[in-house]
Amino acid sequence: MLVDLPGGWSPLLGRLAWSQIPYANPILAPLFVAVVIGAIIILGLITYYGKWTYLWKEWLTTVDHKKLGVMYIIIGLVMLFRGFIDGLMIRTQQVWAVGPHSSGVFGSLHGYLTPFHFGQVYSAHGLIMILLAATPLLVGFMNIIVPIQVGARDMAYPYLNALGLWITAAAAALIMISLFVGDFAHNGWFEYAPIFELQYSPGVGVDYWMWTLQLVALGTTLGGINILATIIKMRAPGMTWGKLPIFVWTSLAANVIALTSFPALQVALGLVAADRYLGAHFFTAGMGGNLMLYTNLFWIWGHPEVYFVILPAFGMMSEIFPTFSEKPLFGYITMVLASMAIAGVSWLVWLHHFFTMGAGPFVNTAFSVATMLVGIPTGVKVFNWAFTMYRGRLTFNAAMLWAIGALFLLLVGGFTGMMLAIPAINYMVHNSVFVVAHFHSMLLVIVYAIFGSVLYWFPKVFGFKLDEFWAKTMFWLFSAGTVLVFVPMYMLGFMGMTRRLEYVFDTGWQSYLTVMELGIVVYVFSVLAFFILLYVSVRDHAKNRVGADAWGTSRSLEWMTHSPVPFYNFAVLPHINERDELAWRRQHGIDQVRPEHYEDIHMPNNTGVAIILGGLTFVLGFALTWRIWWLCIVSLLAIILLMIIRSFKGDPGYIITGAELQRMEEEAYRREAQVLDSHHSHPVSGGVVGNAMAYQRNDSSK
Amino acid sequence: MSAHASTVDPKKAELWDIHHHSHDVISTRTLGYFLYLLSDGMLFATLFAAYGVLSYQHSYFGGPTPAEFVKPWYTFGQTIALFLSVLAYGFGMNALKHKSKSGLINGMLAAFVLGVIFLVLDIHDMSHLYSMGITLASSGGMSAFMVLTQVHATHIFFGLIWILVMIAQVMTKGFTEETVGRLLTLRMFWHLQAVIWVFVYIFVYLWGYIS
Amino acid sequence: MSHGATDPTMHPEVQLSTSKGYFLGFAISIALMLLATALVTSHSVPPFGLLMVITVCAGIAVIAQIYFLLHIDISEHNIWNTVALVLFIPLFLITIGLTWWMFSQLYLRTMDMSVMSSVTNPAVHAPATPKLSDMSGMNKNPDSGN
Repeated sequence: MLVDLPGGWSPLLGRLAWSQIPYANPILAPLFVAVVIGAIIILGLITYYGKWTYLWKEWLTTVDHKKLGVMYIIIGLVMLFRGFIDGLMIRTQQVWAVGPHSSGVFGSLHGYLTPFHFGQVYSAHGLIMILLAATPLLVGFMNIIVPIQVGARDMAYPYLNALGLWITAAAAALIMISLFVGDFAHNGWFEYAPIFELQYSPGVGVDYWMWTLQLVALGTTLGGINILATIIKMRAPGMTWGKLPIFVWTSLAANVIALTSFPALQVALGLVAADRYLGAHFFTAGMGGNLMLYTNLFWIWGHPEVYFVILPAFGMMSEIFPTFSEKPLFGYITMVLASMAIAGVSWLVWLHHFFTMGAGPFVNTAFSVATMLVGIPTGVKVFNWAFTMYRGRLTFNAAMLWAIGALFLLLVGGFTGMMLAIPAINYMVHNSVFVVAHFHSMLLVIVYAIFGSVLYWFPKVFGFKLDEFWAKTMFWLFSAGTVLVFVPMYMLGFMGMTRRLEYVFDTGWQSYLTVMELGIVVYVFSVLAFFILLYVSVRDHAKNRVGADAWGTSRSLEWMTHSPVPFYNFAVLPHINERDELAWRRQHGIDQVRPEHYEDIHMPNNTGVAIILGGLTFVLGFALTWRIWWLCIVSLLAIILLMIIRSFKGDPGYIITGAELQRMEEEAYRREAQVLDSHHSHPVSGGVVGNAMAYQRNDSSK
Repeated sequence: MSAHASTVDPKKAELWDIHHHSHDVISTRTLGYFLYLLSDGMLFATLFAAYGVLSYQHSYFGGPTPAEFVKPWYTFGQTIALFLSVLAYGFGMNALKHKSKSGLINGMLAAFVLGVIFLVLDIHDMSHLYSMGITLASSGGMSAFMVLTQVHATHIFFGLIWILVMIAQVMTKGFTEETVGRLLTLRMFWHLQAVIWVFVYIFVYLWGYIS
Repeated sequence: MSHGATDPTMHPEVQLSTSKGYFLGFAISIALMLLATALVTSHSVPPFGLLMVITVCAGIAVIAQIYFLLHIDISEHNIWNTVALVLFIPLFLITIGLTWWMFSQLYLRTMDMSVMSSVTNPAVHAPATPKLSDMSGMNKNPDSGN
């Protein structure tokens, strides 16, 4: 041991001991039983149906960017659910524990969560929602869509892509295991100095938080490099920069941010580790440390990270609006410039998270002005989307509803953001729930865009559409929940309610908190609607099959290949002639032209190394958290050795012959023809037929 | 339809990549690695930012400051070792250009030995400080000094392992697309360490010495 | 995508290596480091000027290394590396510069004013008074030479 630890430590198990398992906790113990039973059922089912080989060969060892993307999205959705449950718990505690006469259960004076447990819940909620729900969901979509949209067969580095996924999975596993082994951090998702120092937070919570975040940072950096290199180096012939779809542009901007900002987070966390493990004095209150330095380093990453998650969401909206407005995106060039401008300005605003540090009027003014500048490119985007819809032939299907919802939330979040950019106002509402309501509005823009994208791109990935009725039901329930939770939250913020209260002293706020609880119940129903949506859609998938162009009005390259996308993406890479290539080909009646000749193509092999490395990083994170030094050394050596061994073996890849390719392509075309035949007798709700007509009308409206 | 301004004649347009252009695996690899190196540079920039905040008089909390223990000529010895190592690796890469396996391996071995000298000098320096009771737990300023310099040394350490791995790969596999790509990325890594060292040497060691 | 027949050592990024370039990069940077070290140890320049001089040394050395060692130029094969570097440099400066600015302003407002002369610019601080080095027994200052 390098620093004096409170509590026990043994060479074999580090700080781990039976007493660290919260088997007496009335909330966690039943949950643990449920998780174990659920896991046994799932593993049993996989064994019963003999799917282990399939799972290993097709998913766990895959380097196919689409499957990796799907797994990213599954991780994201699972963590979104976990984070949602945390949110439900927070709301329930706050509506319960109001005033001195409120009751208390499970050892809590008021409500049902002790302050320590409540602290863990909101810390986990924040960390999970931003880094393990929003980030993997967006990375997943970028993974699936970007290579197809630029006309590539895979990412620039397929193996690295798999590695990024499994490191992210390791991070998710680490935060999940903190539920049942030890505690999680209880000081907020971004922590504060010096309370995270060992003497104030002696448990393993901060360590779990730190290593989870460190793993996410590593995984996201790897993914970011991959997407950047894919966009720069793997574009199909003819795909010049001026023809890139906006989603690719926003992914580019987002990953530039990821690549540049995540190192700052890694440094901030690394220095926390130096403090907690080696006794350094970076962020201590005495001994020459500077506790605001932590806040500074964290938000150097933290604010760009906000734009890292919002930019792909903007890109998604920019894909959905034109498709369902049957018009090209308004103001392509300004959209590109706006995305780049947002990425650039995102680097100049981080102090607005801590105006109250007191760096003085010069500094605060500079950062205030820089923050307000963000409003310009964002405003450009909002107007561009509005003008895209203006005089378009709008289809209000569920994906479009989510995108429009995102637009409205962006207005709310944007305007409140402008208010918060003014230091005078910021001092008043700092750390109040007004801030919480503001950033939830912004993050909900992302959630709305993600659900819109799930509906929009689902048929591309799986070959059938999701059920429109349940998708719309979910949308309206979710939106009702949003209004009910966040309108009262804005009001409470003005009344001075601070964030993270496990006990609400002002009984006058009871009615607002009750409305918010009602809102979260409506959210619960929307989550149920989502599960029903998945069930109904999978049940009826035969009815909802689609051809290559699922919506009939899509514009970009991904809709030119089959649905579901074959593992090689394009049998023959397309040559790009125009921006919105598919729309252009459709307009000129050449969208059905097939390549005449198939050549051999080269594909990478699957590898089990990535998932093993992911597992080892999980072990390393766990060992570091519990200070099991021998295990740290063993897992670190194993990681290095495995990487060296892999580099000696390399991957020669394999060849798919032109003849084989032709056979697979013809089969896919046959399948598509059947789908289109059946659609003529059963028109699908929300789908648009008569595509060529739509284009003519579009042109005449100019 | 003719109303739509189109620069390409759809009847004659090229729709598929029939010329089958192959993409350049090596430059894709080097670009990605360069992007990683820049993010690594960002890591150092953040460390320098932390050092900037923690190198005020009060950051040392009355304890030892770099002005009291930095020996410029000793550290200049480290500089020579590292720069020579980088030069040796560069000569090795020049041998690669002329397909000389022995020239490459000699260059890399020399780079390795010089890198080890750098690291030994660094470890000796740090253990000397430790013997005087100066550690990263001494004060906030010392934490910043130690972590910044030792993160650079850690990079050197992993670079040395990588050089050994590459020597083994060149000897067993020769000049394949993969080994050559890795040699190029290792060159960028190793040369970037020299660039970072300029900043560390000037702004941490020398500036610390004069302030 | 597999080149098979092509010789990887003929790749342009291999071919751009030159012994002369590497040697120039080495010679320029080592000479500048030598100059900086000599100036610093001789104490012949006042501290603030010294800081300026060694900063210039570092700047030229880094430019030489980036040009000769990392091959950053606008040729076809290096253009993306150059673009990426040019995009990163402002961020390096922002990270260090804005952090330094906000904390110098903060210290100006929150630290004891009597030590401000040394705090605002550590480089111009002349150690007229003995250093507070009693705490860890480090009371010798072998290189203070004034």
